[in-house]
Amino acid sequence: MLNVADYQAIWLTLKLASLTTIILMVVAPALAWWLARSQAKIRPFIESIVALPLILPPTVLGFYLLIAFSPDHFFGQWWMSFNDSSLAFSFSGLVVASVIYSLPFVVQPLQSAFVHLDKSYLEVCATLGYGKYERLYKIIFPMLLPSFIIAGALGFAHTIGEFGVVLMIGGNIPGETQVLSILLFDHVESLEYAQAHQLSFILLVFSMSVLVVIYGFLQKRQQRILNA
Amino acid sequence: MLKFNIQRTFVHAANKKNDAVASKQVLHFKGEINLTGVCAIFGDSGAGKTTLLRCLIGLEPCEGQISFKQQKWLDSNDDAKSKINLITENRRIGVVFQEPRLFPHLSVKQNLQLAVVKAGKSTFTIENLAKELGFTELLHHQTTQLSGGQKQRIAIARALLTHPQLLVMDEPLSSLDLSSKQLLLPFLKQISANIPILYITHSVRELFYLSHQMLLVNNGEIEAIGEPQQLFLDNTLSLSKFAHEGLIVEVAVQQFDEQAGLIEGHLDGQTLFISAKHAPDINSIQVKINSRDVIIAIEPILGSSLLNCLLVTLVNIVTDNEKSMILTLKLDSQFIYARITLRSFKHLNLALGDRVYAHVKTMSIIN
Repeated sequence: MLNVADYQAIWLTLKLASLTTIILMVVAPALAWWLARSQAKIRPFIESIVALPLILPPTVLGFYLLIAFSPDHFFGQWWMSFNDSSLAFSFSGLVVASVIYSLPFVVQPLQSAFVHLDKSYLEVCATLGYGKYERLYKIIFPMLLPSFIIAGALGFAHTIGEFGVVLMIGGNIPGETQVLSILLFDHVESLEYAQAHQLSFILLVFSMSVLVVIYGFLQKRQQRILNA
Repeated sequence: MLKFNIQRTFVHAANKKNDAVASKQVLHFKGEINLTGVCAIFGDSGAGKTTLLRCLIGLEPCEGQISFKQQKWLDSNDDAKSKINLITENRRIGVVFQEPRLFPHLSVKQNLQLAVVKAGKSTFTIENLAKELGFTELLHHQTTQLSGGQKQRIAIARALLTHPQLLVMDEPLSSLDLSSKQLLLPFLKQISANIPILYITHSVRELFYLSHQMLLVNNGEIEAIGEPQQLFLDNTLSLSKFAHEGLIVEVAVQQFDEQAGLIEGHLDGQTLFISAKHAPDINSIQVKINSRDVIIAIEPILGSSLLNCLLVTLVNIVTDNEKSMILTLKLDSQFIYARITLRSFKHLNLALGDRVYAHVKTMSIIN
């Protein structure tokens, strides 16, 4: 059965994924809206940066983050100016890394929904008296709720499965940076296959369930609304 | 009073092959309408009717001035200080687009509540509009389950619930079935007594039934503003080709012969029989007389199946094309058009001011 370390890792992983998802759901809608609507020349460049974690080896991202977190670097210095400890090998560091790493998974479903949104709905909102921002959070975002749930679920699930970046910047500190995927690796290295099986199975069932809900239900629902 | 003098510029991307500079198309609308009741906006497809409306609503960027009553909606002069461009949400216009554009994620009632919540007060309530427009039993349905006619009725209700000072409609009934039209037309006419309506239409029936004012748009400009009856008689307008198809006259109903299925009516004092399935419930009907269905005779034709014979004065003659002539015939205060061949025209030896007999074959009641 699962031992204390396993439970601790599960709890830590859920905490990390939840925090990351909350931050992303605040940041991503505005960014996705801009990417979907902007005609600016700089847009493709920003879009590429956002999408980079999709193809960049996680270890590369982790390596650069490790350097950025070091007290020699201005970002690390800035962080240390109001914090006692470095971002590297800390839970806060994992949160920062996860936000960057999972950003495209949250931005892309939203961006796609915003691109497919018929502009005429925005015009109707204006004729009903709803202002520029009010119409978004009172009418348009609720209309695209399935896409928001998809974005959040993908961000959450992807953060839970994160390995390479955590390995580079988090190390393996139980209760601080030892997330599920790292612990799993630990178990395998120590030939604790029974426990590795358990954790793998939990992760497999979770990921599969998320995808089934997204593809089997949420995506269809959103398409019905967008094509109405 | 709605006053506007606006320019909308469309820039078409440069054609690289011919190395041409980007070409510009400028639409220039200028007009002044004393808005009471329904003012119909009429014109060919692509003439700029929708663009004009979208500029007035504030959905399309344009230059110039727009004012409604005492309110300035747009004033884009060079002096930055006095520049005005009231945003759409503050112009308080109720808009019904060609498509209903209901929000698909909400129920009928929730859609309507979005308007109510924002407007605060309203002369209408969801319940009485639902009753009047016949969608009470649909209030809790999802909008995606409804038919086009049902959706459009709800869209009209939604526009009214915004407590608008002006209603703007872009061919709201064009895609609807006959029964929906018959329900909505009298309703809109009744509404227009309190809220002025700007109404784009392609239908002569709707135009004559609803409006006493029309705005003729042609080629990205306002060609004329006036009463429909007058503009339809003006041979200098772009409208004339269309108007020559036939005019609409007011007929006072005298009685209905149920056995014969005929309405006996008076057109400027002259008797007219019009076939109808049932007795009219109004005492003045509008009848369309197609110019091709009018036969001209110097003497009344006797011993024929023709029912109707009107004594008219020939007041205008235009050549439609090489082969036919359009005659404008005056009754007392109303007019009809007759289209006859050049050969008949010469044969009858007609001249302006002649009194002739106009036999009308078929007519259709439009209201």
